[in-house]
Amino acid sequence: MYKKILEKLQTLTVDFEKLLNKVFSQQYNPFYYHGAVPNLFLWTLLVTGVLLFAYFQPTLDSAYISVNYISTKIPFGQIVRGLHRYAADAMMIAVIIHAVRVFFTDRYRKYRWIAWYSGVALLLCMFAIGITGYILVWDERSYMIVLMMTDALKQIPLFGHSIAKLFVNGEVITHYTMAMSFFLHVGISFFLLYLLWLHYLRISRPVTDVPLGLGLLLFSTIMIPAALIPVVSGKPAVLTQTPHEFPVDWFYLWIFPLFSGMPALIVWTGLFIAVAVLLLLPYLIVDTPKSPATVSLDNCVGCTLCAKDCPYEAIYMVPRTDHPKYKQLAIVIDSRCAECGLCVGACAFKAIDLPQKHSKEIIAKIGDILKEPAGAGV
Amino acid sequence: MAELKKKKIIGIVCERSVDLKKHVQKNHLKDKNNVAIVELTCSGMIQPVMIEEAFKQGAEGVFVMGCQIGDCHFREGNKWCQDRLLGLRPPNIKKTVDKNKVRGYWLAKCDYKKFLDKINKFEEDLNNVNS
Repeated sequence: MYKKILEKLQTLTVDFEKLLNKVFSQQYNPFYYHGAVPNLFLWTLLVTGVLLFAYFQPTLDSAYISVNYISTKIPFGQIVRGLHRYAADAMMIAVIIHAVRVFFTDRYRKYRWIAWYSGVALLLCMFAIGITGYILVWDERSYMIVLMMTDALKQIPLFGHSIAKLFVNGEVITHYTMAMSFFLHVGISFFLLYLLWLHYLRISRPVTDVPLGLGLLLFSTIMIPAALIPVVSGKPAVLTQTPHEFPVDWFYLWIFPLFSGMPALIVWTGLFIAVAVLLLLPYLIVDTPKSPATVSLDNCVGCTLCAKDCPYEAIYMVPRTDHPKYKQLAIVIDSRCAECGLCVGACAFKAIDLPQKHSKEIIAKIGDILKEPAGAGV
Repeated sequence: MAELKKKKIIGIVCERSVDLKKHVQKNHLKDKNNVAIVELTCSGMIQPVMIEEAFKQGAEGVFVMGCQIGDCHFREGNKWCQDRLLGLRPPNIKKTVDKNKVRGYWLAKCDYKKFLDKINKFEEDLNNVNS
């Protein structure tokens, strides 16, 4: 049942992308670079983030002032700030499209589990970075976020109070609260890069960049709003006045309307269940047992072609001493093998093969079919 | 137009590209019974030896089919296969194979109609080559 739905979704995706091919041409279809597009926005965020870092002062007194100083006094400060905000939203959209496409086209499980798991972690990190980022502006919204988050964290049983204390960096909001938010915002961003490395693990030649033309096009989707619609802070936060509402960024701050609508514990439980479901998703389909590619000792000449062609870094070469002429031998790491057969196509010596779909059988089948008279099947 | 001679054509095909399940009966296309089909896990699995073997066994035309370039389920299979057909990636197809009789198609699951058009064109081309 689940598998059937997945198949339908896959056809839907292919149809949709064919439509896009007509607009963008196959070479520039953004859906064929669905993994590289979030990367483009990530680099935008890092560069603009470093620029903002130069002028930002993480204290309660001067955060608001310094952000406004960036907007009004620094040349192009307004645009850099706008880019930082809009790239964040664009990245979230791109990441969601990436995740949905990977899910729809059945490219998230089996030998790809590590990418799926690190992807879930990356998504959670993005929310944390987004929320702490909105605190740094220190307008009324930031104040609300800190208050609501602290209350919500306290609702977590057992260690909720300690986390809340860590988040506020003490019992009440002080300069250290801002320092903590700043640390989390920047610190988790660097942790994101580590997770990204995990995300790329076991992928040979990952596509990390979009073609120049597509990159410029996508960049303009954040550059134009950044230039035309300036990002502005709300009213400055005043600790003695509790604000009651704030504009919500639905990509990052969606959790706060939930917090105000229902007990925080329910929201946390919901989030926990959502993550658990995401992590279980790859194992809902029971697969046939694996039969990874095997190398024939007698035939392998150590030409390294299969190792070069493997798209999942599942083949590596080891030195061999048992053969007078050939100095290297290909070894398959079973757990990484996708059973795709690309190594079979790369081998000219019949040395590597899939046990369940042996190249010998295929060649024999080609011969058999051609021996049948044409139209024998009808 | 002159009557087309039916050519013995064999296709070595990725099972994830054009969905042929409904259209194949006993290894031959229902709509064109001179076209034989062999399905593989991925077009990247196709060895040049397989194409050579097909000609040795009497095929008059061989086509290879994979998914749209850029959309391989196994990331790079169709790219490698395309490069091999173009002679850009080892192992190469033997020079004795007449490249006029080899085709590569890169089509998505739902492209059956386009696929038939291409096959018809291929057959037409084969007729022209020999005349």
